[in-house]
Amino acid sequence: MLNRREMMQGMAAGAGAALTAPLLPERLIASPAGNSTPKRIIFFLQNQGFDPKTCIPEGMTGSGSLAKAKLPEPISALEPYKERLHIINGLHGTHTSPTHSAFFGALGGYRGGDGVPPSASTIDYALSKALPQTLLPHLCIGMDSIENMTTKPTTATLSASGAGQPIFMHSNPNQLYQMLYGGISTGNIRRQFDARSNVLNQIEKLATAKGRSIPTTDQLRYGQFVQGFKDVNGLRDRLDTVADHLRNFAPTVDERYTNPKFETDWHDVLLDLGISALTSGITNTLTIGSGRGEIFGAWKGLGIEQQGHNLGHMKQPDNPIWVKIRQYNSRMLVRIIEAMESVPEGSGTMMDHTLIVYTSNNADKQHTNGANWPVMLLGNLDGTFKTGCFTQLDGKRPINSLYATLLQAAGQNCDRFNMSAKLAKQFDSSTGPLREVLA
Amino acid sequence: MNTARWALVVMLASGLQSAASGETYTPGQKTSYDFGSFARPFLASHCLDCHGSEEPAGNLSLLDLGPVDEGNSGTWRRVWAQVTLKEMPPKDAEHPTVVHRLQFSDWIVSELKRVMRDKGGFRAHLDPNKGNFVDHDLLFGPLPDGIKLAPTASPARLWRVTPQEHITRLNELINSEPDFDPKKPGLRTHGDVVPTNHGGELKLYFGTDRIIKWQGGTVAYATAVKSVPAVLSSARNHGLENYPDFYTVNSAETTQIMGIAEDIIRYMAYGPLSIAKPYQITDDPKSIADKMKGDLRGLPTSIVYGTKVLRPLTPVYDLMKDEGVTDERLTAAVDYIFEAMTFRPPSKKETDAYLTIVKQSIETLGKENGAVLGLSSIFLDRDAVFRAELAGTGKPDRHGRVMLQDWELGLAVNHALRYIKPDDQLRNAIVAGRMRTKADVKREVERMLADDSVRKPRTLRFFRDYFDFDRGGYICKDSKALAQTGVNARGQSHYRAMFDATASTDRLIELILHEDKDVFKRLLTTGKVVTTEADKVYFGKRRSKKEVAASQAAAKKAAAEAAKKAAAELAAWLKANPGKKPSKAKNKKKRRANGNHNVTVAKLSGPKIFARVSRRSFGNGSMKPGRVLATVPEGQRLGILTHPSWLVSHSDAMDNHAIRRGHWIRERLLGGGIPDVPITVDAMLPDEPRTSLRERMRVTREAYCWTCHKKMDPLGLPFEMYNHAGLYRETELGQPVDTRGEIIDSGDPTLDGKVANAIELIQKLAESQLATQVFVRHAFRFWMGRNETLNDAPVLQDAYRAYTDSGGSMKAMLVSLLTSDAFLYRTSREPALSEAN
Repeated sequence: MLNRREMMQGMAAGAGAALTAPLLPERLIASPAGNSTPKRIIFFLQNQGFDPKTCIPEGMTGSGSLAKAKLPEPISALEPYKERLHIINGLHGTHTSPTHSAFFGALGGYRGGDGVPPSASTIDYALSKALPQTLLPHLCIGMDSIENMTTKPTTATLSASGAGQPIFMHSNPNQLYQMLYGGISTGNIRRQFDARSNVLNQIEKLATAKGRSIPTTDQLRYGQFVQGFKDVNGLRDRLDTVADHLRNFAPTVDERYTNPKFETDWHDVLLDLGISALTSGITNTLTIGSGRGEIFGAWKGLGIEQQGHNLGHMKQPDNPIWVKIRQYNSRMLVRIIEAMESVPEGSGTMMDHTLIVYTSNNADKQHTNGANWPVMLLGNLDGTFKTGCFTQLDGKRPINSLYATLLQAAGQNCDRFNMSAKLAKQFDSSTGPLREVLA
Repeated sequence: MNTARWALVVMLASGLQSAASGETYTPGQKTSYDFGSFARPFLASHCLDCHGSEEPAGNLSLLDLGPVDEGNSGTWRRVWAQVTLKEMPPKDAEHPTVVHRLQFSDWIVSELKRVMRDKGGFRAHLDPNKGNFVDHDLLFGPLPDGIKLAPTASPARLWRVTPQEHITRLNELINSEPDFDPKKPGLRTHGDVVPTNHGGELKLYFGTDRIIKWQGGTVAYATAVKSVPAVLSSARNHGLENYPDFYTVNSAETTQIMGIAEDIIRYMAYGPLSIAKPYQITDDPKSIADKMKGDLRGLPTSIVYGTKVLRPLTPVYDLMKDEGVTDERLTAAVDYIFEAMTFRPPSKKETDAYLTIVKQSIETLGKENGAVLGLSSIFLDRDAVFRAELAGTGKPDRHGRVMLQDWELGLAVNHALRYIKPDDQLRNAIVAGRMRTKADVKREVERMLADDSVRKPRTLRFFRDYFDFDRGGYICKDSKALAQTGVNARGQSHYRAMFDATASTDRLIELILHEDKDVFKRLLTTGKVVTTEADKVYFGKRRSKKEVAASQAAAKKAAAEAAKKAAAELAAWLKANPGKKPSKAKNKKKRRANGNHNVTVAKLSGPKIFARVSRRSFGNGSMKPGRVLATVPEGQRLGILTHPSWLVSHSDAMDNHAIRRGHWIRERLLGGGIPDVPITVDAMLPDEPRTSLRERMRVTREAYCWTCHKKMDPLGLPFEMYNHAGLYRETELGQPVDTRGEIIDSGDPTLDGKVANAIELIQKLAESQLATQVFVRHAFRFWMGRNETLNDAPVLQDAYRAYTDSGGSMKAMLVSLLTSDAFLYRTSREPALSEAN
């Protein structure tokens, strides 16, 4: 595994072939110049909106340090990690039409809505291609009510690899485990893994055989089709070669996978799987859709009876229901931080080269015009971002500007993300990165 | 130019003729010219006078331009565009002969191909947006001496299935579509394409035809129902989207297809039981009230399905319903899915291969999971996602062409018109060996064209690709700018109106195709329109400031009078009924003085008609098929180019896009080619909210820009008589709107000249032979899946003649195109001919 990474980093910039999908880890893009320590980003989107009162310490109205502030109850779990936290208030997303969720527009920075296909790739996908490459760069997981996760184990509402090209979130931990760790699994999961592997190998053979009569001019295109199977089968083989390494990181499959009592059982093990993909080094971008990008979702395991749409119709501050949900999110963020800190990397730990971006796909509340879109950052991504502070912006910079900043931190030379100069005249008071959040 | 120089030029030119070839020029034939003996003299005679060393024209010096290599390929590409489009040499200069120009153009293309072969290739000349680079006069007029055409064909190729075709194939497996009802021809019918939903998404819906109850409203429904989006995608959204060589299928797509396949197979086997709990399937929702307590909105458990089985029951159903597994039932399931996905029966080898896969899976996973996994592999067969036109069997004629035969020919003919598998008659013809000749093709094509119950969505697809009227709902509008147009800018109403308008425009085109007379002209000039209630605003007139004020004043006055009257009535009533309280009904006589003051709505009435819309996707907010066939307001509209569906599709967030509209007219009606935007140009109009678009477009009138922009701007600006939501207007920013334009250098001198507005522009173009011929060229490209070459001139002329001789029948044109050599023959052995085509 480390050999592979070194090998890939060693290849000269400019070898670049275009990467078409996140499941093609061996297709290289030019490695960003300079620093090639592994880096990772986690996007955590909690649906129904992120009310700023649930994260901004009481009394803080302007930018300043968090050192003397007390974090509000919903995010109190982050108190010990305050000096790594950066709360940003005042970004806007009015152009994403975020009422009732901006869907792909939240991570895309463009107009979204129910039934509206993505009009371009989203920031998580773009980053997965820009950060130092890994075997399975971009992984998306979705947390929802148990009924929805069972009947629709994959859904695509938040991430996209291009216009009209949605990326699916995984919600069935059994299927996700099989995909990541099938090679080292046992029992039922192993059987399914073997059966599926066998079918895919056969499909590859058939596809190859049917390529023999193709005219030369079409061989490139058809070759890509065949290569797709080779990639999927090859990924499996490559994961196999690092099986011993993966065993150190793969979670144990327990009752929660096969017999969940509440949806939160699945939420927890999905998070375990996501974290393990990061710690084992096979993923560099993890997108977590808590509520799966829509206006539904359930958290009965926290003792919350209401589900779905109603959760978006109640105010969040001082509401025991929302305190519970946000605290649950915060505990998940803590688990991510602790896991990253437990793995040595470079001269420190993985956490030193990690950034968590916590926000909502629905700006500040379900019925919103998107004028305020709070975001919390955790970590500094190798010293790039300021931490331990609260920043109040003036409300004229769009979420796209934060995304452009992230891309710059990943070594890309870009002033804007998914926003033409023309649109920027309407929606952005400035250009370039968010200087206020940079170290 | 002085005499000596002239003599030198003549000498060089004639010298070149013999150097090049004393023989004839055949398009696509490989030549052995090189830079030194051919290109350099050409440059010297025709270019260097102006593009030499001293103050080169357009700041482009070609003096040091040498043989084509990666470094100068950009310059050579520009030279190619300018020379091929006859922009250069300029009109007043000496021109190369027709043949010479063709040879030069061909030489550049072949050099660019050679040089770029391992750098991504050079395919610009094959792109639909360069189809017009082939000289129109040479295609439709007499050829000069020295040109000898070769019999034409298309290259052997592998054609990826389009997203629409793919979803429609999948839909066939799990949804029954109604048979054609001649009394209600506009309703969605078996064989129509799966329509996009309320948001413009192409999605496959599971079981929505059986839903009898759900909880909550629109979004709750959309979340609760099972649907999968189209997996395959089209990268383009303007112009022809589907040449065979555009697309492949990548690993993310194949993984998704496999996942979807499993869902589909389970649904085929178990119906709604595969997506719902048993108790949810009942005809009496009240009987399960205890299970439906509380807020279940958005959950799949909030839905009640009726018990009547509606989906097609297939061998997959048979396989799974009975205990155990037999070879017979397995084979039937494999063969059924194979033919459903590839449109042809499997060979024995194919059946065996898939049987093996299914059996192996069953062995590992048991019957249910094993069969589902095994059968899903069929969805990834090469021929389930691609369609082959390889012409592998058959003897090539002396030009290296092989005619398509049997299944390949039958499926090519089927694909020309339809998205579902060949009907019984075509299938029988193929199997019986009666799909081998041109006459066979003519027979089947004419039969299918004559039969309305044989749905032909590919024809509608051509018109969508040609007109691009289906983009409106995807154009993101700035809310304030949209509100100013006078339409309802709240929420998603505008976008829904646009998707409804797309379905309506489809239906209008169908009506014109049904009458099949003067199709092209009628599309451009019809006064008919298919409308919804919202269209009364979209086809209305945006009032001027004065008119708005007047309307508001009038409404205020009317409200005051009504209030006065109501008060008087109340007083009278009270007097007649002393001591009593008036009923609520009497009190509530206040009618709110609302209504849209900004717009004079159009009066749109007429017979009821239907448009094809998707399955219920958004609860009660889903698209509805009911429409009205109306007539547009007199003098304000003329044909599809004045419909909001087309206008908005060619607009942007804030305003009209006159350049894009002008580009459309130039390309799709005048057959003109426009070189690519130079890389150094920052193509943006100034941001001046209080000035009109025409005024802001002054920047394109700079000398450097105008050479290309004069081909577009004067054709697009006449459409300023509509605002960017498509409403008719006479004023803009308080001033009368300037709608003047001009047709410049169309190639037909009788067509050139000024026009007062879009109506006049359209009238001229609709009458013109040129525009009709350009229309035929685009039809050729769509149905052949490639750009035309000079060798296709006979095919194009035949198709045009078939169209005009039959009084403008699209069907006649199609028969001609589909029985042409270009459609029937494939080449793969003769690389030269392949490259030309």
